[in-house]
Amino acid sequence: MKRIQIVALALLVIAAIACCFLGAGALTRLQSGFLGVLSPFTRSGHVVQNSLGSLGKDLMTLDQLQSEYDRLLIENRQLRAENNGLRDLKEENDRFRATLGYRERSSFRLISAVVLSHDAEAWWSTIKINRGSRDGIESDMPVITDRGLVGKTTAVSGDMTEVLLITDENCKVASKVEGTKEQGICSGTRAPEGELSLSFLNKLADLQPGQKVYTAGVNGGVFPSGIALGTVKGFHARELDGEATLEPSADLGNLEEVFVVTGAK
Amino acid sequence: MKTGLLFILLLILLPCVVALQDLLPSLPPAQERILLLPLLFCFGVMVLPLLPALLYALIVAVVQGLILLQVEAGQVELGLVGPVVFYFGWAIFLQMANDTTRAMRWEIHAIASAMVTLSLLTGEFLILCAKRGGFPLDATVLLRIGVPSAAALLIAPFFYLLLRSLAPLDSRLGLAKLKPPGLEA
Repeated sequence: MKRIQIVALALLVIAAIACCFLGAGALTRLQSGFLGVLSPFTRSGHVVQNSLGSLGKDLMTLDQLQSEYDRLLIENRQLRAENNGLRDLKEENDRFRATLGYRERSSFRLISAVVLSHDAEAWWSTIKINRGSRDGIESDMPVITDRGLVGKTTAVSGDMTEVLLITDENCKVASKVEGTKEQGICSGTRAPEGELSLSFLNKLADLQPGQKVYTAGVNGGVFPSGIALGTVKGFHARELDGEATLEPSADLGNLEEVFVVTGAK
Repeated sequence: MKTGLLFILLLILLPCVVALQDLLPSLPPAQERILLLPLLFCFGVMVLPLLPALLYALIVAVVQGLILLQVEAGQVELGLVGPVVFYFGWAIFLQMANDTTRAMRWEIHAIASAMVTLSLLTGEFLILCAKRGGFPLDATVLLRIGVPSAAALLIAPFFYLLLRSLAPLDSRLGLAKLKPPGLEA
């Protein structure tokens, strides 16, 4: 081995050792930089993926188009009817909230974002969205859909953000069960199968399948109170506490558009 | 193709492959994902000479570490130590395998890709078990490890052919480098 090769090898080993001793701050900055590098590739891939997807949609037959049109017509009428009903409910709800002074607490400033990709990792559940620090997004902001909680932002680059889903074991959410005083910690599992686990409940808790679970909104926490999290599927008592399995409210397997909560209105 | 050019090409392919593996749909039955990074890594370290191969392994290790990085309350769950040791180890082993088999063939690449994927996922699982506690080894976990490894074995030959067409190798690298002595003239 030539002398220059030995020097290069020594430098390489030193670089590797230096990498091993990087702290959380340096790694976070590196990760944001890496997301910035990755962003154009992911965005381009997303555009191609969408184009290929729409190609298939364009190839529908006339019969399929007619049935799709009929279905949408019926759905439109249903939605109009529902909308009329909901408008009344909204007015009533606004009145109650104004009366109780809760309006400020339960209204959020939202930034809409498109899901670019679901990350290909076996033990972590993360997605990437097309908004970043330029849109005012920071790490540890809640991400929701109209149906419920999705997760929280982690690494943020200029125009792309990584979101840790609630099905990840690392995403822990203080939660409360509707109609009871039960509170617990909700998280995903190591190999997420789309279910959530709600732990630290009273082992004698009387939970029934179908009961709704909402975020509890701990002081200084990431998630505000009252966001739908999931529905109870089952409950079993353990040695020291009770554990419930939940079906997430948001359809985490088919996320296309999400909202990042940047603060209260 | 000169080593420098090949190295740059492999570097450019790195974010492409990371983005592509994120965009690929998950596989049934338990939503397993296809990992392409180990395939590119195996190709890179088998086709490059030792020092560039180790440098490439270090870069892949950093990328892998950043993909997996989760910082909770200022604490890093998995730093870069694991990926650096893992990819350095595999890079040295694959260089030795290259010399032993006297050829850079698609079969070696396919088997190596599957082995790297298998050991990567198993290692991640074991480290998480050690860090978070518990050892939930069930059918889902086995599928999460087994299916991507099997997929790597099946996809690797196509990936290898694609990379060979993108980066034709000359007498100093790859196949031709490893011809038995006496056949080079």
